Amino acid sequence: MNQRDLKLLSSYLDGQLSSSDSARLETRLRTDPNLRSVLQDLRSARSVLRQLPMRKAPRNFTLTPKMVGKNPPLPRAYPAFRFTSAMATLLLFVSFGLNFLRPQLASPSPAFGMGGGGAPDTFAAEAAPQAATEAPAAAESAAATQAPIEEPSVAMAPMSTMTIAAQEDTARAMETQSLKSGNAAEGSEPGLEQSLPAAPAEQPLVSSVWQWLLAAVALLSAFVMALMRQLSINRWRSKN
Amino acid sequence: MNELALISEAQKGDLDAFNTLILHYQDSVYNTALRILGDDDLAADAAQDAFISAFKSINSFRGGSFKAWLMRTVTNACYDELRRQKRRPTTPLEPDTDDGEELDSPRWLADPGMTPDQKAEADELEHAIQHCLNNLPMEFKTVVVMADLQGMDYTEVAVAVRVPLGTIKSRLARARLRLRECLQGFSELLPSAYRLEEESTA
Repeated sequence: MNQRDLKLLSSYLDGQLSSSDSARLETRLRTDPNLRSVLQDLRSARSVLRQLPMRKAPRNFTLTPKMVGKNPPLPRAYPAFRFTSAMATLLLFVSFGLNFLRPQLASPSPAFGMGGGGAPDTFAAEAAPQAATEAPAAAESAAATQAPIEEPSVAMAPMSTMTIAAQEDTARAMETQSLKSGNAAEGSEPGLEQSLPAAPAEQPLVSSVWQWLLAAVALLSAFVMALMRQLSINRWRSKN
Repeated sequence: MNELALISEAQKGDLDAFNTLILHYQDSVYNTALRILGDDDLAADAAQDAFISAFKSINSFRGGSFKAWLMRTVTNACYDELRRQKRRPTTPLEPDTDDGEELDSPRWLADPGMTPDQKAEADELEHAIQHCLNNLPMEFKTVVVMADLQGMDYTEVAVAVRVPLGTIKSRLARARLRLRECLQGFSELLPSAYRLEEESTA
């Protein structure tokens, strides 16, 4: 029995042949006992297979959300809160970074004041003759100018220390000069001017009020997100 | 049951709609897996995997016979299950003879505790057919299970197996012939079934 005839017989059994093919095959079947025998075998096999009982499923195969990794639908406003929280957190970190870098950006020459000499001393030496007896007052003014600056950051502490050291040098120079000359010359302003430029450098770029505000926004958004998620899960569970 | 509406809802993510479809098709899917794999537990696992996979890929269904699409999924799940079995071979259930060869008869599967004649006969028929199915190559088995056990037409089987119609016809014919040859070895075990057949064709 060739494969073609086998296929024809099987298809004939299932009524899948065209009428002309069926007629031709029936003619051959009448004259060919071998074909009839194979057809009988195929019919018998199909008949036995159809006697197999359909078993009932041993359990229900219905799916739960967990099985398909499905998440509860979140409210439409959820992404907005997620974005707000992320942006507030990012800005908060940026503000910390800027405040940290501010002193370094403000004093490009580390030699200024660090070596205890350099420009401040030179200015002090030049200003000393003029400062004369008013030098202590100038130092006091400089201190008073620095006082109102709120919350100098930890990073700025070394700079403040350096400035104070420079001021002490200036005061000493003034004292020496006044002892030598005894003149009460005018010109306490230059001494005041040289101590003033340090003041703006110590101000943080982003004030702590803004930082607190950003932190509050980030935390509040995160809290609202958590609340939304929990409510959605509860609602979803009760529905499913 | 409005099948198209349920499919449409399932495609939008409605799990309840898909579960309704599952309840309708679960017996067919389980029986297909059972006849392909020949094991109750493996068939249940494959059916469950098939439904999970079907839900996840429901959007790939573009119309036509949903049963054929589902049968393709269960066939794939059966292939996966067989691959897993190959990686983790277990002790075969079929007992060996003293020569180390498998017993040719499925008689050993019959429970000696339940031997009313009718029940034993039905059980043995089922076991004999399953034994012969197990001996078929996978591609023949899949086609004959879908066509003769599930009653699917050739076109549906071709869609489910993703092969041309001519190949389906050829595989089905050869599978039937092989089954017939195999079942002839059980003619003494299955007298009533063959008697019925002979009477019907006489």
